[in-house]
Amino acid sequence: MDNLFDKLMEDIRFEEGLNACMNCGVCTAICPAAEFYSYDPRKIVDIVQSRNNELIEDLLKSEQIWYCGECMSCKTRCPRGNAPGLIIMALRGLSQDLGYFTESEKGRQQLAIKRTIGESILNTGYCVYIDGISPEFHPEQGPTWEWVHENRVDLIERLGGNYKGDGPGILRKIPQETLDELKKIFEVTGGLERYEKIESYSKKKAAEMNLDFDEGIDNEYFSHIYKTNNGSHTR
Amino acid sequence: MGKHVVVIGAGVAGMEAAGRLSRNGLEVTLLEKESVAGGHINDWFRLFPDRRDSNEVREYLINLSSDPKIQLKTGASVDKLTRHGSSYLLTTDAGENINADAVVVATGFSLFRSSRKEEYGYGIYENVISSADLEKLFISGEIVISSGKAPQRIGIVHCVGSRDEKVGNLYCSKLCCVTAVKQAIEIKEHLPDSEVFCFYMDMRMGGALYEELYREAQEKWGVNFIRGKVSEASETIDGKIVVKVEDTLAGRPLKMDIDMLVLMAGMEMSEGGSKLAATSGLKTGENRFFASADHHFGSNISNLEGVFFAGTCIAPMNVTETISHARAAVTEVMEYFSNNNR
Repeated sequence: MDNLFDKLMEDIRFEEGLNACMNCGVCTAICPAAEFYSYDPRKIVDIVQSRNNELIEDLLKSEQIWYCGECMSCKTRCPRGNAPGLIIMALRGLSQDLGYFTESEKGRQQLAIKRTIGESILNTGYCVYIDGISPEFHPEQGPTWEWVHENRVDLIERLGGNYKGDGPGILRKIPQETLDELKKIFEVTGGLERYEKIESYSKKKAAEMNLDFDEGIDNEYFSHIYKTNNGSHTR
Repeated sequence: MGKHVVVIGAGVAGMEAAGRLSRNGLEVTLLEKESVAGGHINDWFRLFPDRRDSNEVREYLINLSSDPKIQLKTGASVDKLTRHGSSYLLTTDAGENINADAVVVATGFSLFRSSRKEEYGYGIYENVISSADLEKLFISGEIVISSGKAPQRIGIVHCVGSRDEKVGNLYCSKLCCVTAVKQAIEIKEHLPDSEVFCFYMDMRMGGALYEELYREAQEKWGVNFIRGKVSEASETIDGKIVVKVEDTLAGRPLKMDIDMLVLMAGMEMSEGGSKLAATSGLKTGENRFFASADHHFGSNISNLEGVFFAGTCIAPMNVTETISHARAAVTEVMEYFSNNNR
């Protein structure tokens, strides 16, 4: 089996993010995610610096590497110049490369992020576009959202937006040549390749879990990973 | 011998060195930038580990350095130090020139300016104070917060300006841990009903009787020690201080309301020392303190022949170590003169 620490070291973010940790906990103390989730960035850094292959593999398959919001507050505080946020980015990348992300509930949601935000960027030029915020998948939007969503054309016009229109304005259409450029960036930087990996590993996992798997968001596996919550994520 | 030595700095190291040099028959000029001799010890109420009155040590140093062979010049700092043949010429900020056959540099340390760690709110929140500020409260005999009341919950932050790449100080100042323990006990003596929390990364109790004092703080005084570096302090609308820290032994992030936060400021190369280094050619090391010729057996010896170091101008030291180091500097000066006379 590969030495996972060496694999992580191939990632410039990992090399940059890990010097030597003395377990002072200042990263966890400043971390907004740690305040909410069962999450301790200090422990993650301590595990990777142990170079223990088994523990790192467990980490790559764990829930905890998916809680970080990558706000990088940790980097502003660490007295040793470490950046747990960068270490997390490297762990996430390796977990996606090796397919380990499908072993955890939060990891499996990579497919949901890919198919919502990830595809929205390429198709619309927006990470989040109002069309994609369906009432069914976004109960957090509150009871009026269904009405807003249904009447979005008239509503955005009244609010002075330029919904899917040409030229400037809020929610305007992004020109095709800009979308082509975006897609090229994803191609060159390996983003598209990563998307494909997330798709293929997820398909494999769906078969393992005996759930229907199809494109889009209207299938058993997508619905399962999007809506299931084992209740063990928060403090 | 009729030799003349200039000692720069009349703190613990400078006063000890001056006194010992004069006892050996040398003429000494003792320069002090402040208006009185004594240095940092003047601002401290009691000393660790035995909590003796700092006045006792000050009186010892004043007696030792009150000798007709010692001329104390206060309000004088050194602008320039240049070699002239086998002696040195020192120019003070007042423009006075002084010749010296040898020089003892005892420029000491500066306390870390706590406002540089802005996340702790020193200089922003009234109830965030430094270890030196707390000594002033001890001297005044009354520990009160901005509301005029006595604090009920007090937090003490270790390693402020030490072991911290963010402020460029990689070293341990090594005296702040024991200062925290001493001050925690003194707070409990003044305010028996208060709760005291020390936030530390490692307890560095590497001095005679330090560990015993740590144990006393826990056993006798009930001081709480929480292992974790404070990430930030903020203020509530009613003037309380909220600190965020991870209790790393329990693996749990905490948010605590306290009435007063005390920052254990570390030790840095003094401003006077840095100025002297820039104008004299005396070498400094990675941590900006003066660099000794040899860490083990030449810690008093500088890169300039006839110029010697005494005390905390080379590294953080406690009073005991400073006095020993100053005496060692005197031994080096005496040997230097006897070799040069041969």
